[in-house]
Amino acid sequence: MSEDERSYTVIVAEDAYLIREGIRQVLEGEDEVEVAEYCGDLPSLLHAVEGHQPDVVITDIRMPPTHTDEGIQAAAALHESHPDVGVVVISQYVSPHYALRLFEHGSGGRAYLLKEHVGHRIQLMEAIREVSRGGSVVDPKVVDVLVKARTKARNSPLAQLTPREREVLAGIAEGKSNAAVAKSLFLTKRAVEKNINSIFSKLNLDDDVDVSRRVIASLLFLADTELETTDGLPKQEQQPSPH
Amino acid sequence: MAEITYNRPEFAGVADDAQAQVDWPAYRRASRPELLAFVVALAAAAGAAAIVETGDVVQRPGAFATVAAVSILGFAFAGLLWLQARPWNGLGPLLLRLAAVSFVGSLAGAPSPWLFLLGNAALWLLAVGTVWALAAFPSGRLDTGGRLLVGFGGAILLGAWLPRLLLSAHGVGSSFIGRCNGACPRNVALVWDRPGTAHELQIAQGVSRATLGLAIVAYLAVRYARASRPRRRIVLPVYGVALLYALSVAVVGIAVDVLDHTPSSSARFLIVATRLLFPLGFIAAILLAHAYAGTALAGMARGLGDSSSVAAVEDLVRRVLDDAGAKLGFWVARFGVFVDRHGRTLELPPDEEWGTWHVFDRNGEKTLALRHDPALSDDPELVQAVGSAALIALENRRLQHNLFDSIDELRASRRRLVVAAASERRRIERNLHDSTQQKLVALRIQLELAREQAPTGTPLRARLARMGDDLTDALDELRAVAHGIYPQLLTDEGLSAALHDTAPRIPVPVEVDADDIGRLAEETEVAVYYTCLEALQNVVKHGGEIVNARVTLRREGRTLHFRIADDGAGFAVRGRPGGTGLTNMTDRIGAVGGSIAIRSVPGSGTTVEGRIPLGEREEVNHR
Repeated sequence: MSEDERSYTVIVAEDAYLIREGIRQVLEGEDEVEVAEYCGDLPSLLHAVEGHQPDVVITDIRMPPTHTDEGIQAAAALHESHPDVGVVVISQYVSPHYALRLFEHGSGGRAYLLKEHVGHRIQLMEAIREVSRGGSVVDPKVVDVLVKARTKARNSPLAQLTPREREVLAGIAEGKSNAAVAKSLFLTKRAVEKNINSIFSKLNLDDDVDVSRRVIASLLFLADTELETTDGLPKQEQQPSPH
Repeated sequence: MAEITYNRPEFAGVADDAQAQVDWPAYRRASRPELLAFVVALAAAAGAAAIVETGDVVQRPGAFATVAAVSILGFAFAGLLWLQARPWNGLGPLLLRLAAVSFVGSLAGAPSPWLFLLGNAALWLLAVGTVWALAAFPSGRLDTGGRLLVGFGGAILLGAWLPRLLLSAHGVGSSFIGRCNGACPRNVALVWDRPGTAHELQIAQGVSRATLGLAIVAYLAVRYARASRPRRRIVLPVYGVALLYALSVAVVGIAVDVLDHTPSSSARFLIVATRLLFPLGFIAAILLAHAYAGTALAGMARGLGDSSSVAAVEDLVRRVLDDAGAKLGFWVARFGVFVDRHGRTLELPPDEEWGTWHVFDRNGEKTLALRHDPALSDDPELVQAVGSAALIALENRRLQHNLFDSIDELRASRRRLVVAAASERRRIERNLHDSTQQKLVALRIQLELAREQAPTGTPLRARLARMGDDLTDALDELRAVAHGIYPQLLTDEGLSAALHDTAPRIPVPVEVDADDIGRLAEETEVAVYYTCLEALQNVVKHGGEIVNARVTLRREGRTLHFRIADDGAGFAVRGRPGGTGLTNMTDRIGAVGGSIAIRSVPGSGTTVEGRIPLGEREEVNHR
């Protein structure tokens, strides 16, 4: 986003050397990003956050010590200790389950990206910017899995949506702003807003102006599940960086 | 329960074994000599009757003949029965000898003086033999008291009857019922006719007989009082008739010998009846022993139904034998010892004191030892019956143990196989994810960076973009393969999450209702997951064009219920035994101890349903 002519202090946690190098190469080309530290496991990540007070953490979902869901644990821990730090979880899992787990403690300032899309500079930077200001991003591929599953079901409410409305809903679930949706679908902002109104009334969802809440609502709708969120509220205001 | 190690050789063939080898107390068929002996006894009885009838010596030849015949047959039958049922017991031969002596006694009805003398001597001998038999009952051996009684009887014979014979011209017609008709045959043994002395001897004889009778009563009373409960039951039939006999001996001694009283014919009949009853007591003893053994066996059979432990079997044996001291020893072949119900080694007394221990063999191997009241040695039918029943019960338990052990073993091994297969799948998925997939992802990132660096609008950039897309496709495929091999979510989050995650990948709409089942044992989760997957793949294959599936998992107590139902085309289950994947599902679920069933009706969909017992460690709501 163009209004953010500022630099982000970022900590990267990724135990796989090749991926870490890829991320390093992508971020080295970005002037806005300054990587404070590269870590290889959960404890050193949490330690680095204490030391550097970053704006954003990019973390692998699976790392030492347990190789299970350290990235999600980190997000949960930072939600308590550093609510202003954005977290981009990078993963090889396309399962929506992990994305929804990530949002259990609130979707604000959280992004779920597939690792294979990390090389896509624009996508990664967008995620960094979004989470740093409390937004949410979900990898389109993950949303796609949800949309496909939901569309397949008979009597699916998605059947009531026009193809265009489905595309817009996917964009919302990915965490895009109206403008971003408009841009990606080559629509006017006005047309997107109309589509959104139609979608939310058809699906009986609260048309929340807050993008982050909209993300979780649409994701949950697509997943056809209820999530026990300990805190559904996104961060309302972005704390200024300490440096 | 006692730690008993059973050594059953083979599982197969045991049933035949068990039937063939139970060694019932033998009602062995009468052997040829015994039949011969019985024919001889019949002939002897007839002969005796003929002798008496034709002898014209006694007052009432008919009655005397009947008594002689019944006495011979009674002793012969009792003797044969004892010989058959208790071949080792001396009473059988003794009773047979008494039958022979009875036959000789019938000669007292013969007119020849020598035969008359022999017959009367035999009748006296019979009286002494009768005392011997009852004193030796039931073991066949005489104890000190018994020897004294027999000695006393012998002393009367030698000290009173024999002198009288030598001193009285007519004083030998002593057969009670065989009173001489007018004059008895001449006493060929007369040495010196001294009627006065003979009469005194007769009185002495009468007093002695009365004393003997009372001594017998006292002896029986003491023995009965001292006897254990099992022995009392055993001795009762013979002691009953023996008591009557002893009393009649005493009464006759006083009334006839001492008082010279001539009893009425009905009194005489009663007294004779006690002697005829005597062999019947021995017959009854054997028959009652068999009857009691039969009752005991029925009691065992009834009781064993409820006896779930070795201790219960032992208690039952005690109750049925009416022997509180009864004890079972169980053979442990591995150590070559008997152990008791608590698993402690039992020291059986050495062979020479074997009396109280009975060891049961099967196929020549020791199996069971039964310690019982020594009196029960005289009731072998009972011991055999009870021991055999206990043996069957224990064999049964042993078989069950073997069976259950085998089943447990089999199940454990199937479980291990399932777990091993699952962990191997997981290992492959890990390798794919951490190594191959990781490298391809890194390559994808590099390719994207390369594309960015390529000048815009050049063929190189377009080619790099295409390569990136191809690589993405390859990654998708690899991811699908890895997920198919093993869903990481199953390990991380459990069955419910894995099924929720998998459902969207199935080409038909699948609803998953599996919340609140918590985490289960790994092998259970794996078994149910792949079973659901298999069933869902069947839905895709056989469900038809428009089909919806629903997976339901419920946890009720310690049981997990699962159901995969669809509303599709269905099929005839019978028609395709192997084609439904049911074998795989059955194997998987069976391996974790569960059961599964498939129902399908053409046109009404298919339901796969099953349940799995859950272990202690499977927690609810553990994430």
